[in-house]
Amino acid sequence: MSTAAAKATPSTVGNTARSLPLRSPDTGRKVRTPLSVVHSTPGKRRVPFFVFCFGVLAAALLTVLVLNISVSTAQYNLVQLKAQDATLTKQNQELTQQRQAFEAPQNLAAKAAQLGMVASTAKGQINLETLAITGTATPALKGLSQGAVIAPPAITGQLDVVPPASTKEPLESHAPSAADAKAEAKDAKADAKAKPEKKAEPKAPAVNLNGGSVPAPQQKVPGQ
Amino acid sequence: MAQNSGKSKTKKASTAKRRLRVGLGLMLTLLLVVGGKLFLVQGLDVGGMAEAGINKRLTPVELPAERGQILDANGTVLASSVIRYDIVADQRVNTNTPEFGRYNSATAEAETVSREQGIKDLASALGTDPAALTTALTGDKPYVVLAREVKPDLEDAISKLSIPGVVSKAISKRVYPNGSVAGGVIGFLQDGTTGQAGIEQTQDEALRGTPGKRVFEIGADGLRIPVATDELTPAVDGKDVKLTLNTDLQYFAQQAIQSQVNNLSAQWGSIVVMDVKTGNIIVMADTNAPDPNNPGGVAPEDRGVRSVTAAYEPGSVEKMITASAAIEEGKASPLDTFTIPPAYTIDGETFTDAFDHGTEKRTLAGILGWSMNTGTVMVGSRLSKQQRYDWLKKFGIGEAPDIGLPSEAKGILAKPDQWDNRQQYTVLFGQGVSQSTLQTVRAYQSVANDGVMLQPRLIDSYITPDGKEEKVPAKESRRIVSKETAKKVRDILESNVTEGQIKEAAVDGYRVGAKTGTSQAPREDGLPGFDGYTASMVAMAPMDNPRFIVEVVVQRPKGNIYGITNGPVLRSVLGQVLRTYNVPPSTGTPARFPQFAK
Repeated sequence: MSTAAAKATPSTVGNTARSLPLRSPDTGRKVRTPLSVVHSTPGKRRVPFFVFCFGVLAAALLTVLVLNISVSTAQYNLVQLKAQDATLTKQNQELTQQRQAFEAPQNLAAKAAQLGMVASTAKGQINLETLAITGTATPALKGLSQGAVIAPPAITGQLDVVPPASTKEPLESHAPSAADAKAEAKDAKADAKAKPEKKAEPKAPAVNLNGGSVPAPQQKVPGQ
Repeated sequence: MAQNSGKSKTKKASTAKRRLRVGLGLMLTLLLVVGGKLFLVQGLDVGGMAEAGINKRLTPVELPAERGQILDANGTVLASSVIRYDIVADQRVNTNTPEFGRYNSATAEAETVSREQGIKDLASALGTDPAALTTALTGDKPYVVLAREVKPDLEDAISKLSIPGVVSKAISKRVYPNGSVAGGVIGFLQDGTTGQAGIEQTQDEALRGTPGKRVFEIGADGLRIPVATDELTPAVDGKDVKLTLNTDLQYFAQQAIQSQVNNLSAQWGSIVVMDVKTGNIIVMADTNAPDPNNPGGVAPEDRGVRSVTAAYEPGSVEKMITASAAIEEGKASPLDTFTIPPAYTIDGETFTDAFDHGTEKRTLAGILGWSMNTGTVMVGSRLSKQQRYDWLKKFGIGEAPDIGLPSEAKGILAKPDQWDNRQQYTVLFGQGVSQSTLQTVRAYQSVANDGVMLQPRLIDSYITPDGKEEKVPAKESRRIVSKETAKKVRDILESNVTEGQIKEAAVDGYRVGAKTGTSQAPREDGLPGFDGYTASMVAMAPMDNPRFIVEVVVQRPKGNIYGITNGPVLRSVLGQVLRTYNVPPSTGTPARFPQFAK
């Protein structure tokens, strides 16, 4: 009797012996894996792995390089755009100032006078609801005194926006004709050319016109 | 083998061991010294080296806050700040650089330029003399200003010349695009930073803003250290100040008053236009107004705003207050009859009128319509001295309006117990009491606004840098006279134009109420007496629903005072204001109180 057979039989000696759980004969037995000679992994497979690693490294380096280049290119762009922004801000400021200079009432009035315009004195109103007309509107007459000249803003570099008003026009007291207008336009041009001379004219003592670029009002010039 | 060389080997080994130990001890001591020093330097910072290093690297840079703009009611810019450049030079660098390299954009290559040529280029850009510029650039001074407030395009051209030692420094410059239009109201800056007059002075804090700061570490090579401290406190720009003024009307009024003052060779003149319904000041025109771009161009006394700074004896415009008081107190009504002698004597004081007349029977309306001192004293003497004082005070005489301009006058209103025998009656027609033009306008505003006085407003709102508008709330209004009294007084004022002597204040299509004032102006040279006149005219329109008040004042006009008139000036300004704001022409029947009693 083999030992296995002996183990299979219940080990009961006499009636005092405890009954032990039975073990099935199959569970204890393990099937041994048959041994065989195994070839180690081939050495030549390591080379592609190294290539792969270097590839990864190279790719990473390349990515970093590309990133770096793009960042620095963007930086150059940024600098350029910032410079452009600054230039445009300055230009905008310049143009805004020019527009404001054109809009200044003094310059506007001087320009209008230069174009031969005169202010109307009497205006009327039409009430559109009642169709009532109030006031007597009269056409503006060339030659009427146009009032005191307020000096244009003394901003450096802005005085050339509008040339100083001509002093000749308010003297003509008759209604304008086409020929007159032409002649006057010529006068005005001549005046503009003869600017230094105009500046030398005596100024009204009572009015300080701040800088002397604006001629004194007609009625104040002594000897005229 | 080991046993053979036993003793000598042991001896040798112990010597080696000792040497090793000594060497190790030495090394450890050295390590301790170095480590201790490291601990002292790094850990404890004995001698403050690290702190000194940080202090040397830390560079604070102030980020300037942009000064706010000043705008008119329509958003027209009256004052703003722009970038300008100062061109400065380091003489040492320029003098010691005989030639320098420069990129020529035309040929697209670098070129070598001599110092003389560089100076010549710079001189032609700046428009100065090359010889003078050479002098300015030669020497050993590290800082010389070559040109101030250069515009950006010129600065750009100069920096492209790349002259050695020449750099540009950005500065902020205040410009006033409308020049002397409202120049006195706006004021000006000192050194481009601090307000010295007008709104620029009083609103300096709001306009200025808070400058920011950036603190960062910079290496010896002049580059910022990227990972070190970098603290940024952004600058808070100043607020914009929006006024209630209208630039176009301001110009119109300034031109009108300047012409008037020129024609009359007067000392000065001013015009105030106020919106009756809001108290907003639309025009504050002065003669010889300063151009804030060059405030030194006018005399110092012309640099303020006379409508608020100049208190003078108002004259007959004050009769409106006397009439209002008498009507409100129940002592008179517009059509009460007064028998007026050529000269009226009361308490030993005799009063006459500006024109000769016999004994006339007049209404109260007629007294104001012909501006009679005699009649006014007759009506006013029905009020007690204290009542006269209280009513003047109630109408804001002796109380400065607070509109945000520097040195606003409150005028002089003496206590009734300090009035002399004549003054107690002269205050009834505006002599012996002084007030500013704005105070007169405010008194008339309360009558125009059904008896409720609104405090005048000049600053409409503040606009924060993010564009939020913060309205300045109106000050508390107060009732001066009842609605009925205000209506009666307005009818008297309208009758002045329709029936009385102020017919030239009439504007076609609109019902106008007006009052003139002529008073003697006290001498300014310290001697007693008077040396001229103050002529004023105040008007409101349209009388069916008053919207605007205009006052024109001319100080010390030359010539016969009874020959001059502010009528045409007032009429043109009032007409322009009414049309600008599209006020519909008047409806209803104009008041026509008879001037003479039947």
